[in-house]
Amino acid sequence: MTEQLEYSAIPRRRLPTLPPLLRGLSVADALALGFAGLLLVAVIAPQLLTPYDPLVPDPGATLQAPSLAHPFGTDYLGRDLLSRVIHGTWRTIAGSLVAVMIGLFGGIVLGIASAYFGKTVDAIIGRAVDVLLSIPGLLLSMVIVVSLGFGALNVAIAVGIASVAVFTRLMRSEVLTVKELGFVEASFHLGESRWGVLRRHILPNAYGSVLALTALQFGAAILWIASLSFLGYGAAPPDPEWGLLVAEGREYVVSSPWMVFLPSLVVVASVLAISHISHLLRERVA
Amino acid sequence: MPAALHSYTARRIAQTVLVVILTYVLVFFILFILPGDPIQQQIENPQNPIPAADAKILLQYYHVDRSGLDQFWIAFRRLVQGDLGYSLTTGKPVASLILQAIPQTLALASTALVFTGVIAFVIALAAAFAPSSVIRGIARALPGAFLATPSFLVGFLLLQLFSFQLGWVSAIRDEGFKSVILPALALAIAVSGPIAQVLIQGLNRAYGEPFVTVLRARGLGEARIVLGHVLRNAAIPTVTLLGLTLGELLAGSVVTETIFSRTGIGFLTQQAVREQDAPVILAVVMLVSTVFALTVLITDLIYPLIDPRIAARPIPATADQASD
Repeated sequence: MTEQLEYSAIPRRRLPTLPPLLRGLSVADALALGFAGLLLVAVIAPQLLTPYDPLVPDPGATLQAPSLAHPFGTDYLGRDLLSRVIHGTWRTIAGSLVAVMIGLFGGIVLGIASAYFGKTVDAIIGRAVDVLLSIPGLLLSMVIVVSLGFGALNVAIAVGIASVAVFTRLMRSEVLTVKELGFVEASFHLGESRWGVLRRHILPNAYGSVLALTALQFGAAILWIASLSFLGYGAAPPDPEWGLLVAEGREYVVSSPWMVFLPSLVVVASVLAISHISHLLRERVA
Repeated sequence: MPAALHSYTARRIAQTVLVVILTYVLVFFILFILPGDPIQQQIENPQNPIPAADAKILLQYYHVDRSGLDQFWIAFRRLVQGDLGYSLTTGKPVASLILQAIPQTLALASTALVFTGVIAFVIALAAAFAPSSVIRGIARALPGAFLATPSFLVGFLLLQLFSFQLGWVSAIRDEGFKSVILPALALAIAVSGPIAQVLIQGLNRAYGEPFVTVLRARGLGEARIVLGHVLRNAAIPTVTLLGLTLGELLAGSVVTETIFSRTGIGFLTQQAVREQDAPVILAVVMLVSTVFALTVLITDLIYPLIDPRIAARPIPATADQASD
């Protein structure tokens, strides 16, 4: 508010009007969006953010404490840790994106099928959701990873399958709620087809809460993928991945604690930024 | 009413049994039937090859040559007789591995459950009633921060502070109850976020209800109103989170026990997954999901007793808060 007042007090230069989505952002909002932007750059073009190669060891500079040259210090082979974190971003972030897409797609299809076809289909999908939800997500992902085999992509797929149930339940309840509304019933009576109603009325109304859950689940996927990699089921060394970096640093936690704490803090910052953006989306879109 | 109550109880029990059986079917098929035969893989494992004689016993025991459905029936009949099979890496009976690991995890999870409750109540009370707005703001932000923190970070922070810096408790040696405190705290912080959020909402809702005004008009002190009446009302919905919390505690113990070098169910799971020891994984997952299903069943059934305003009817989506 105060910023807007100050701007309007300067008549000479007119600021271009921001799209309504960006108007009135707080400092926290800006920080979250800025960090998310940084993550995006780290995924697309990590070499822009760091001069070091994440895989080339430097025997002369092993286990150095954080300094200006190496803000996150160096690891036991002398590799720059910040560069490894930056180059590892896409494994975690893109992995979480894959996981969320699987969960979202599976959930939308199953949820709509469950709500639309009713009775038998609903009962079958309902029991399947009950079964999937009775196993804690992290444990279910482990079971699936055992079946798929270890690796960064397989961990992402496992986390995605493990989150299908949550999306299915939300989608089903959204469709059922909207289906009962007067105007939807009216358009059925006016002769609109089932798919027409779905496309025109039900999906747009479910959009907001599904979007919010997607953002929330994205944060959870980051944590699960980092945990599974930490346990050694994901990316294999020497590839950099956030959870794996923490696991590698674990051997040196007494003498070089930053090797554990700095990559972990990046995980926390990412999840916080994404959950903040999820709140922002819920306020502005839903 | 009693007749309806009985049929509701019976239906919920039947539903729970069905879910547990279906969970077994699902996990069995994921682990044993999908491509990538764990038994053959283990026998040919280059790091730990199983002698031909033992391999033959294993293959015979699990009937690998039969169809998936046959394998399932054989395993299911053995399960009913209390035979959980044998570990593929150590050859020990799975049941004894699990029984050995349970006391460690029971101590960890029960302590963590108590901590979870205390942490959630303290945060919620501070978020709703702390005199300073700064403290209220911090307390309101904490559940979100807990939800964003990987449990390994909390574990390492506690280890670093209390074991390495202050030297209060050994990071490696088992010192009885003292060794349970840090991992339990790490677990509790990881799972207390959702409970604190539900409590904060409940406190705010209950505080706005007319009975608070009535109590105040009768001359009750603010502390008695909050601790004696508002808190009781706000705490009821957290009961529905109990099953979810227990499940999360058991699943979370995989990471926590690894960090704190404890040898409970979590460590057993971590080893089994690393070595693709399917029979052990199956048993652990069934243990956790059965505990979850039973807890949800019991909380559903006793909920009307705790909150008489609710008649016996399905409580909307017990695990709904999972994602929130």
